[in-house]
Amino acid sequence: MPPAIIVEHVSKEFILRHNRALGLKTRFLGLFHKNKREKREHFLALDDVSFTVEQGEALGLLGHNGSGKSTLLQIIAGILQPSKGRVIANGRVAPLIQLGVGFNPELTGYENIFLNASLYGFLNKDVRKRVKDIIEFSELEHFIDTPLKNYSSGMQMRLGFAVAVNLQPDILLADEILAVGDQAFQDKCLDKIAEMRSNGMSLILVSHSEDQVNKFCNYYVRLDHGVTIDHGPIIKLEVEKVEFQQ
Amino acid sequence: MQPRDKQNVPNPITTTLRPYWQYRDLVRNLVIKDLKVRYQGAVLGFFWSLGNPLALILLYDFVFTHIFRSNLPNYILYLVIGVLHYNLFSQAVSQSCESLTSASGLIQKIYFPRILVPTSSLLFTLALWVIAIFILVVLYPFLGGVYHWGLLLYPLALGLYIAFIWGIVLTFSVLQVELRDLKHMVDIALMFGFWFTPIGYDIHVLKPTTREIISLNPLTQFMDLFHALLYSGTLPALNHVLIACAWTIGTVSVGMVLFRRKARHLVEDL
Repeated sequence: MPPAIIVEHVSKEFILRHNRALGLKTRFLGLFHKNKREKREHFLALDDVSFTVEQGEALGLLGHNGSGKSTLLQIIAGILQPSKGRVIANGRVAPLIQLGVGFNPELTGYENIFLNASLYGFLNKDVRKRVKDIIEFSELEHFIDTPLKNYSSGMQMRLGFAVAVNLQPDILLADEILAVGDQAFQDKCLDKIAEMRSNGMSLILVSHSEDQVNKFCNYYVRLDHGVTIDHGPIIKLEVEKVEFQQ
Repeated sequence: MQPRDKQNVPNPITTTLRPYWQYRDLVRNLVIKDLKVRYQGAVLGFFWSLGNPLALILLYDFVFTHIFRSNLPNYILYLVIGVLHYNLFSQAVSQSCESLTSASGLIQKIYFPRILVPTSSLLFTLALWVIAIFILVVLYPFLGGVYHWGLLLYPLALGLYIAFIWGIVLTFSVLQVELRDLKHMVDIALMFGFWFTPIGYDIHVLKPTTREIISLNPLTQFMDLFHALLYSGTLPALNHVLIACAWTIGTVSVGMVLFRRKARHLVEDL
């Protein structure tokens, strides 16, 4: 079996534009005022990062704020292009950088399911086959025909999560969104992810919480200022020990 | 479902188009969303998309029959054709400028072919416009329109026009990301464009030099196609068709090249 994701020597350089001239006025003023002129600064967000995620494996991306882990996730999702290197993904990637991307508050929950799923490249006829499961999972049967603006934020996240997991991705990219809704629903989400993983789904979880990564992942990569400073398997013994003490 | 034999032969056109085709329901859902949201809560709903062009036509008809006299026969028909087709252009172009910048929430969170954003913005305008064109279809015989075989060519002329607009829509949506003044400039240019296009007047009444200038406007060529087919009941002159085709090839290639070059890094500038 080919690996689910191969990240090969990926670097990403951003150009930080101070005083970015977006309008004509600023461009014009820049002709006369030196401090209003655009200043460019190169910023290396990722520096030669490589790793492989086998099918069914779960990788935790650890690091402080600004360490480049979210940038890396965006590159794997195809949103950003790497400056150097490449990413090969075998299978359908579902980025969960935000739950319910494209949700429109004026549309009903039902309509939003189709809009959200089509952003993942799904055809309406395929969503129709899954829509029952999605609604059932979200536990929103009663509200599904009311506009999304009447939902609480927890309900919206539940719907977004229900869509994402019921599209059966091969690779799930999650940016610290595994805490959805109340405790009961959270447990349900975690069970669902565990079930999908046992069916061979790969997971990349971005987090700055060691506990979360310890719980879900069997491999970790720690980034600092765009450089891999540490990586290795996660030994599950620690988790078991904690449970024992409780 | 695609036929089997097609999949066995790798066709360069289908392989480039397949990723876009996969997302066809995204375009449909985005257009439906815009239509639903636009008339949310308005009692008259979709009828409002009739109101605007209808009001414009009545206004111009009043101005051109009572204030400035025109001696064109069936003048209202001439005017309606021009106003409707110019409206399609101006609404599509004006709206497209902000299509990418206002979709930044989607573009930063998930990957899908970016070209679908301005394209669905154009299709949304087109969907509203189709409702407005019903005015023309219903009023056509009463305004002095002639039924002739040439009318069958109208969909081709309209298709060419839409392709021409699509090229401009792609170009402007990308340029707006880097130059946020563009929308304001475009809105002013569109006001001028109305009078620099033979919509309320006949190009032949102009002085030769003015006529030369007006002919440089690509919309003049398209208006000529529509006026010939729908108003005069004749076939458009071949040189007008050729110039219109050349303009279309021009805008579509500029739009595609620009989009291809910029699309990958768009997200960093939003």
